[in-house]
Amino acid sequence: MATTACFIIVSRNDIPIYEAEVGVAAKREDAAQLHQFILHAALDIVQDLAWTTSAMYLKSVDRFNDLVVSVYVTAVDALPFNIGLDVDVAVVSKEEWTLLNPLYLPGSRITSSHFDTKVRALARKYL
Amino acid sequence: MQNTLLNQTKESLQLSPKFEVSACGVGEFSVGHNNSNNRTMKGNNGYLVTMGAPSPRSRPACTCSNRPGSVRCARHGYVVPSERMKKRVASKEILRRALTPPPPRRCEKRSEEIRFFMNDSDTTQLATTYDKLTCVGFISSIVVSMRNNTSLARKEERHIHMGGANITSSLLVFVFVVVNAAVSMANFLAQFQSIKSTSDRLVISVEDVSDLWPAVKPAFEARLPFKQGSLNNKTRNPVLVEKLPAEFILTTDSRLRSRFPQEQLLFWFREPYATIVLVTCEDLDEFKTILKPRLKLIVQNDEREWFIVFVSRAHPANDKASAMAKKVYAKLEVEFNTKKRERCCKYDIHLPESNFWEDLESKIMECIRNTLDKRVQFYEEEIRKLSEQRLMPVWNFCNFFILKESLAFMFEMAHLHDDALREYDELELCYIETVNNTGKQRDFGGADHGDDQAALLNPGNKALTQIVQDDSFREFEFRQYLFACQSKLLFKLNRLFEVASRGYSFIISFSKSLALHERILPFCMRETWVVTACLALIDAILSNYNDGLMAPDIEKRFFHLLGDLYSLARVKFMRLAYLIGYGTEIERSPVNSAALSLLSWPKPAVWPSVPADASAEVLEKEKVILQTTSRTKPFGIQRKPLPLEPTVLLREANRRRASLSAGNAFETFDGRQGITEGSGFDASTRMSPSQKVPPSSIPRTNSSPGNFDGSIDRPMRLAEIFVAAEHALKKTISSQELLKSLSSSEEFEQKYLELTKGAADNYHRSLWKRHGVVLDGEIAAVSFKHGHFDQAAKSYEKVCALYSGEGWQDLLAEVLPNLAECQKILNDQAGYLLSCVRLLSLDEGLFLNEERQAFQSELVRLAHSELKDPVPLDVSSLITFSGNPGPPLELCDRDPGTLSVTVWSGFPDDITLDSINLTLVPTSSVDEGAKALQSSTPNVLHPGRNTITLDLPPQKPGSYVLGVLTGQIGQLRFRSHSFSKIGPADTDDFMSYEKPAKPILKVLRPRALVDLDAAVSSPLLTNERQWIGILVRPINYSLKGAVLYIDTGPGLEIDDSHVIEMETYAGVSENDDNKVQKDGAQIDSLNYEKKVERLTLHNGKIEFPNWASDTPSIIWVLVRAMSDMLSRGSSSVTTRRESIVDAMRTIALNLEFGVYHNQIFERTLAVHFTYPFYVTTRVTDKCNDGTLLLQVILHSEVKATLTIYDAWLDLQHGFIHNGQTEGRPSSSLFPLVISPTSKAGILFSICLGKTNGEEDRKQQESILNIKYGISGDRTIGAHPPVMDESTKVDGARQELIFKNAITLQRPVLDPCLAVGFLPLPSDGLRVGQLVKMQWRVERLKDLDEKEVPEQNDEVLYEVKANSGNWMIAGRKRGHVSLSPKQGARIIISVLCMPLVAGYVRPPHLGLPDVDEANVSCKPAGPHLVCVLPPALSSSFCIPVNS
Repeated sequence: MATTACFIIVSRNDIPIYEAEVGVAAKREDAAQLHQFILHAALDIVQDLAWTTSAMYLKSVDRFNDLVVSVYVTAVDALPFNIGLDVDVAVVSKEEWTLLNPLYLPGSRITSSHFDTKVRALARKYL
Repeated sequence: MQNTLLNQTKESLQLSPKFEVSACGVGEFSVGHNNSNNRTMKGNNGYLVTMGAPSPRSRPACTCSNRPGSVRCARHGYVVPSERMKKRVASKEILRRALTPPPPRRCEKRSEEIRFFMNDSDTTQLATTYDKLTCVGFISSIVVSMRNNTSLARKEERHIHMGGANITSSLLVFVFVVVNAAVSMANFLAQFQSIKSTSDRLVISVEDVSDLWPAVKPAFEARLPFKQGSLNNKTRNPVLVEKLPAEFILTTDSRLRSRFPQEQLLFWFREPYATIVLVTCEDLDEFKTILKPRLKLIVQNDEREWFIVFVSRAHPANDKASAMAKKVYAKLEVEFNTKKRERCCKYDIHLPESNFWEDLESKIMECIRNTLDKRVQFYEEEIRKLSEQRLMPVWNFCNFFILKESLAFMFEMAHLHDDALREYDELELCYIETVNNTGKQRDFGGADHGDDQAALLNPGNKALTQIVQDDSFREFEFRQYLFACQSKLLFKLNRLFEVASRGYSFIISFSKSLALHERILPFCMRETWVVTACLALIDAILSNYNDGLMAPDIEKRFFHLLGDLYSLARVKFMRLAYLIGYGTEIERSPVNSAALSLLSWPKPAVWPSVPADASAEVLEKEKVILQTTSRTKPFGIQRKPLPLEPTVLLREANRRRASLSAGNAFETFDGRQGITEGSGFDASTRMSPSQKVPPSSIPRTNSSPGNFDGSIDRPMRLAEIFVAAEHALKKTISSQELLKSLSSSEEFEQKYLELTKGAADNYHRSLWKRHGVVLDGEIAAVSFKHGHFDQAAKSYEKVCALYSGEGWQDLLAEVLPNLAECQKILNDQAGYLLSCVRLLSLDEGLFLNEERQAFQSELVRLAHSELKDPVPLDVSSLITFSGNPGPPLELCDRDPGTLSVTVWSGFPDDITLDSINLTLVPTSSVDEGAKALQSSTPNVLHPGRNTITLDLPPQKPGSYVLGVLTGQIGQLRFRSHSFSKIGPADTDDFMSYEKPAKPILKVLRPRALVDLDAAVSSPLLTNERQWIGILVRPINYSLKGAVLYIDTGPGLEIDDSHVIEMETYAGVSENDDNKVQKDGAQIDSLNYEKKVERLTLHNGKIEFPNWASDTPSIIWVLVRAMSDMLSRGSSSVTTRRESIVDAMRTIALNLEFGVYHNQIFERTLAVHFTYPFYVTTRVTDKCNDGTLLLQVILHSEVKATLTIYDAWLDLQHGFIHNGQTEGRPSSSLFPLVISPTSKAGILFSICLGKTNGEEDRKQQESILNIKYGISGDRTIGAHPPVMDESTKVDGARQELIFKNAITLQRPVLDPCLAVGFLPLPSDGLRVGQLVKMQWRVERLKDLDEKEVPEQNDEVLYEVKANSGNWMIAGRKRGHVSLSPKQGARIIISVLCMPLVAGYVRPPHLGLPDVDEANVSCKPAGPHLVCVLPPALSSSFCIPVNS
């Protein structure tokens, strides 16, 4: 049972365009920075790994002490990587595709509160 | 009781050893006993029988069915050989049986010994006397069987009858034996290890029958090691071994001789792999009688791989001896060679045959190969059996280990490293499985001194005997041992990457094991072990590493693993350092925080306490803690430092102290004294900024509150914890190097740097830039601390570039202030400014507003005061801009405008920009440079959205997007090239580079904005004041404030006296027809809104009223076309020659319009003027009385109705009116109305006559006077002329006079002279041929002196000819005398030559002095003559004959 989870969508240029801290545990004050650091470092591995496999869901690509990084690599520009700590990223990512606004400009930040609410609901569902 | 037991034991021991295998089918017993018990027991009757009466080895029994024959055992697949088959079938079973000593004897012996041991309790003797391995295996097998039987017996006792023995008691004995036997394994292992260490190469035994070895030894040993040998690996595939070391040992050597047969079997891997029998013989008889029987004796043992080397000592020169040697050798071959295998070779000691050595080596290799195969097979079989039993309770890993490692060692000796490695892998797997499953693990190990240093690369670190405890291996040592063996083989195979990858995962998994046993291990043993393990592994790998040997992608992963190893060591090292108080030396960066804060504290059973005599050290530590001031961040950033601790150390350490009951007391204390929760630097750092109190108020002494009285239960203070940990670590750590690294903060830092650099370098080499760069940042932090700001700035820049490039702002916010600080110290103003801008452009939530204001004030301060030279700076992330939403601003060509731009400011406060420039970039044309728009007035940008307007000069047609925003703040030249998103005020969104640029301005291509045209199409009246209409039609463009300049051309003047009228154009333009027709109401409204306004002309210009700005309108201007030419009539027979140009007048218009009158439209209108009539005349009839009826036909030239009121004719000289009409037609005709473009005729009756008046004489032309009126519309054309206001009389008929000149000719038949063109020669004219043109001039009348006043008889003539067609040879002009009498005639001849062929006009003879009317020409009109081409010339044709 995951207690804390971080979910980040990374654009093609490795820029985080969406970030959500989800989880049932009380959030540590430094968690955002910590999670960001771990997920950012995991990009090194993801970029190596993404080209070696045809799988889209890369489960447990990296492990940082007790935190496990899983990645869902998409085939579109809009959401190249969905990286999550302790989240069933595959499920969330697949459903999240359906949430995207068709007018969304690839590469820009996702600021839609609707999207945020939905993602958090999804996370609650699968956590 | 003892005796009984022994008896039972004896009985039990007499069980056949085969029973172990057959009974190992545990499943059969345990599962099958429910339903098929009877059957099973029936099937196993054989066992019971065998058990009761062990038979001597009369015939070999299958391990399963015990029945010889050709039927294969269902389980093992082996055929139990009968006596008959035994010879032929060399199966595994035969081999096994041959190797296995006969069981009954051993059992008996063993039982005796057991009895002995039971009496004497001397277990060691038992172990050393007999074959322990087999013994143990045997016993354990029995125990297994018995246990199964026991369980069975307990459940179904009626089926089990073990000879009336008490099963339980016998079991006890067996277990006892097993335990003791297992203990003996320690000694056995020692032997095994010593054998392993002494024998490192294959042994080849030499059976020296004829004492030849000393003679041949040097030559034989010179061949070692063998090269290019081919061996079979475990899967029976041939493997080429490059270099195979081996050793020749005589069979008489003590090393081989002294061994017991059982020992030989046990350590079979060290037994000879081949036997060379060295013989010589010089006599056939000797061979037959002595040598052959002896050899037969030697080689009868089939186990050995042997071959015979016949050494010939005969000298080559001695033929006889050689021949004899050959004969003997031939005999030898016959005796010992078989069809399948040659076992003999001949060695001439004096002159070896060329292929002897190859032959020898191949034979040796063959033997080795065969032996190896056999032994591998044997070991495999044994291992397989053991591994099948591995889940049984009594199973002993030692046996398995020895067998497995023997096999591995054998492979290693044979240089089959791959196979050896595989054995070790399997061994490890089996170990992990059994250790975890059986729960037999008794001691983890690791408690010895020096165990903290990892021995994962040194297999000989500890003797195996030390590892074994009871019957199990201690995990701590054994797993390291296994890894050491594996890594040794991997190094031999040069598989460094595998060493690294296996090593890393081994360290990780082993570290977890250590964590499980942390409570029994010394304090921080785990951390120490990991550090030393990583470093040892790195050292070993790097010392074996050769650059360029690995494939690129493998190498990349290799470096990544090295980086991981360094990183792991670094983290653990930092943890150790933190525990002894060097936490202040560690940078609280994201990487360190992430690594350490997620790493739990050590969990010793008891947290170390402060030694009694350490008070001085405690004081020292406290002093250090007190002196340590947390580094103040630049800009006064109050950002909370990142944690390095998973939980507060103070609490953790005290909680784990045994003397405090699970921290209850401390919890109480904690609740009461919340402020000390994070004592030490923890406390000061973990406070949130809002709660932050001045540091002085924090009790930094870390001493406990006064309530605690220093008893043993008193919680430790932080300094005490550090000191206690230090002391404990000193006890734990045996590595001097590590101790030294932890001895002082300087040493710590050095090691820390070394590890960090190692990790960073390797990550960089593995292209993991994020890992590498982040660690560079850590190096930078150390550089910064020591004042090496230059280096620090460089590294920090890399880190910042990485984070900002990828937009990870939380991380950037940690590092960027440090970079800014470096740049500030280094006086890198540009860099510092940029860092300020970057800080400002980070997410607002990352810094407090005050902090952001501090960044801004720093920026403004620098820009306005400190900068001497302008500094360019990119502020794209901070100031963004965009055009206004909606469609782009559209401008017509050459129109200026005002552009409104939205600028987002990311500054926390208002900021004054001294100037702003904005470039416009045309989207289409590439060559066009960007156009800069300037707003030089200072603009104040408020935080968030601002709107700035810029003047837009006229641009070239095209579409423009916003380019770059530049500007100045003091000396700071900023530049922003990004576009912000239109919408919510998230100004930080500067990542939309990919967004297609939206056009902000569209300048349309030049087009007609307005049209000026003449409103009237038909001619106006010349010489009258006429309205000329100018149609002004704006084309989707406003004419507001337009000015029209009118300039008339020659012959036209504008009447200044009258105003100018302007009215809306009633007719809807063609383009708008469709549009307007759809909406009938609009038409009505247009009609109703018709406006008329009178304007005045000032200096030739008219200003448009406002209403005319959008609607088509007509300007009526009063003009008069001036013409002093009199209208001339013409004869009806001649065609009318009219020149439109004469009647044309031009009017130049210049319309200036647009917002700044920047648009100019010029047009010159042509207006057609005309006289109202065109007059033609003809004489309709010549009456006999000389009266001529002159018909005057009036063609109406205007589109207006003309009314003729009166007409009269003033005749020229020579004509007079006939009758009394005075030149007027009948007055009853008038008024005559002539419709537009119709004709009317008036008849005058005149006659030739003479008037006497002088005036009449002068008048050469007749003048037709017509008084007429006109009624027309100015919108169509000619209309009644506008009268002066003063002269205008209401209701008065406006009569105009039209005068027309008519030339009347005398009658045609009344000329004075006749000119006739005489016919040309009949042969025609030719080009180039002279021809005489002749005209005859004849006087038809007497020369009237009055009419021809000049000469009397001289007539001037002139010949006119087209000079291109004719060359005139004679005079062209001259006088000829012609008699004034009627009938006088003369012929004028002129020589001409035609120049061109064809029909040409002949020369014309004219008489200039005589009026045309007086000359009658024949032919009357122009005519043509035919000119032939020139005749062919034959003058150049010379006859051939001549």
